[in-house]
Amino acid sequence: MYTPLRIDPTRMLGEITTFQRKLAAGMSHLRGMREPEYANTPRELVYSEDKLKVWHFTGSKPTAKTPILIVYALVNTVWMTDLQSDRSMVRNLLEQGEDVYLIDWGYPDGADRWLTLDDYINGYLDRCVDVVRDRHNLKAINLLGICQGGAFSLCYTALHADKVKNLITMVTPVDFHTPDNMLSNWCRDMDVDLFVDTMGNVPAALMNYVYLTLKPLRLNQQKYIGMVDILDNPAELENFLRMERWIFDSPDQAGEAFRQFIKDFYQGNKLVKGTLTIGGKPVDLGLIMQPVLNIFAEQDHLVPPDASRALGKHVGTSDYTQLAFKGGHIGIYVSGRAQREVPPAIHQWLRDRA
Amino acid sequence: MADSTSDFMQDYQALARQSWDGWLRQMQAAAPAQAPSPFGGAASFGGDAIERTLDGLKGYMQWMQGATAAPAPAADWQQQLQQWFGGGAAPFAQAFGSIDSAGAQGFVRQWQDWLRNAGSTLGVPSPAASPTPAFGMDREQHMQQQALAQAMLAAVQALGAYQALLQRANAQGLERLQDKLAEHSQPGRQIDSLKALYDLWVDASEEAYAQIALTDEFRHAYGEMVNAQMQVRQLQQKQTEAMCQQMGVPTRSEVSSLGERLQALRRELRSSGSTESGTTDEIRDLRREVAALKRQLGAQASAEPSTRKRVAKRASPAASKRAVAKATKSAAPRKRKAAPAASASSKRAQPAAAKTRSTPRKRK
Repeated sequence: MYTPLRIDPTRMLGEITTFQRKLAAGMSHLRGMREPEYANTPRELVYSEDKLKVWHFTGSKPTAKTPILIVYALVNTVWMTDLQSDRSMVRNLLEQGEDVYLIDWGYPDGADRWLTLDDYINGYLDRCVDVVRDRHNLKAINLLGICQGGAFSLCYTALHADKVKNLITMVTPVDFHTPDNMLSNWCRDMDVDLFVDTMGNVPAALMNYVYLTLKPLRLNQQKYIGMVDILDNPAELENFLRMERWIFDSPDQAGEAFRQFIKDFYQGNKLVKGTLTIGGKPVDLGLIMQPVLNIFAEQDHLVPPDASRALGKHVGTSDYTQLAFKGGHIGIYVSGRAQREVPPAIHQWLRDRA
Repeated sequence: MADSTSDFMQDYQALARQSWDGWLRQMQAAAPAQAPSPFGGAASFGGDAIERTLDGLKGYMQWMQGATAAPAPAADWQQQLQQWFGGGAAPFAQAFGSIDSAGAQGFVRQWQDWLRNAGSTLGVPSPAASPTPAFGMDREQHMQQQALAQAMLAAVQALGAYQALLQRANAQGLERLQDKLAEHSQPGRQIDSLKALYDLWVDASEEAYAQIALTDEFRHAYGEMVNAQMQVRQLQQKQTEAMCQQMGVPTRSEVSSLGERLQALRRELRSSGSTESGTTDEIRDLRREVAALKRQLGAQASAEPSTRKRVAKRASPAASKRAVAKATKSAAPRKRKAAPAASASSKRAQPAAAKTRSTPRKRK
């Protein structure tokens, strides 16, 4: 039996010296660096209302007859699907021949404090869907919802079934009470009325703080230590800094919508209990008869896989497909594997249902 | 020999500190000056990002420097681990401390700053002071201040309970690390670098933290902490608003109330604008059907002129019947394609067919 620690003092000193040297040398690389740009896939503005915009991605001629409208989470920005040129979900979908639209929720401020889930789902989202339907002269389009945007898409499809042809959900929480859901556990005893009445809109920095504390050491320390190893690699450093920019470039949350989302989804788990109402109308997942493709990440620390898998038990459609991705909540958009696997899978699934 | 090693260590530590300080100075000089904002907007690479990076690295650097202070591996490696990872300066505490910069500042520190300021201007009693009965003109104000002081005390206690759980996670992380290290007791599997040890410790600590963070106890402590802090903040807001009202400054509640009314009006406007929301949809659908019909008729017209002429000039009644049948048959698949518009299509398709049929009869 040996001691498991065999750290030679001289080597230890060498390790620290190397780390310090890398750190110091990295200065020269960082100093000249500009803020990394996002992919900026060519796009045109087709609709705007308040702070919301609907973008249509251009640059390639789509072969698909039915367009996709992407609905991401209110805590995110458009760049999650278009981070950098070789890690862009929208770019890959375009290359597959899909016609892609995306809702840009914008950055809410005090004027948006009273926006409700009804305003978001039966208001904004519905009007965005109508814009795309009108542009293509179609009765129904394809909807791709991401995370909270996936939950919105589920509600929308249940409430406006005739306007959705196929539904794709990505890393979407459905059952909010799975035992491994840390976020859910944390907010269950929270007095969300007191919280929103006091805070008004929920600051993005506070949301980021909560997300960082899900894995405090990995997200707040270890990843920066890893960064030291790539300080002398401008390309990798740029990728790292772009991710940083994106992760912390988050919008505030409209207070009223936040209140409802926490109460009804996280605390009440009403989506799977069948007791959810949006704008006074009941949301019944059983009414979703459209084909559904549900993609989730196996190592997701924000939306546990089981929270997403639950969808299969609740939708009414017999055409339900589930796709497990080997990666995390972020990796499903930005990893190299995701680029190779996810957009082609979406395209193939849609083509089979064109 | 021992002395020279000790000297070397001291020199090295001084050097390490110099490097760190130098790095910090250069980074801060490179970063554009930003006004500290408790809940600032989008982070920029130059400001918050660098701060976060430095904070993250600082904990690691401090830990490594601490490790060099007692470099000789102790005979009892478990004791060595305690030296390296135990205590308040452990990287775990640092990891939480560093995210206490932006989001957490508003969450945890803000009221403390407020207390310092308010204590001097408003005469807010110390949280530790026991509540006392209030009388006279200042009764309400005094009661509010007491409530605030009590809420602050509750917030401190709730934060303490939360932090105790974090400390427990840290301690359990260390136990897990020992278990993990025990698996590395074979030659060839031993941990031979600080970085490898650190990574293993991160794995162990995250596991321990996740386990605790999913408990009912943590849920309760977390909820209590958030609620207590919100209570403090709300009472602060009330006092600030009362002060603003006295000075004739519009308050947050008033602005918020206006926003609420405005949003309600917008909703009302939309719903009255689309009282006929069904009608709007119907009009849209009808327009779509008309467009589809126009396309159908256009296609039909371009395909049929020669047929019609032949029917009009030479066809016998029997032949014209066949032509009608053919035309109707060719229209049918189009109706099926435009399924939602099927009823309208069929209604409007009939007169055209009747017209074709009537032409030969007239000639008869």
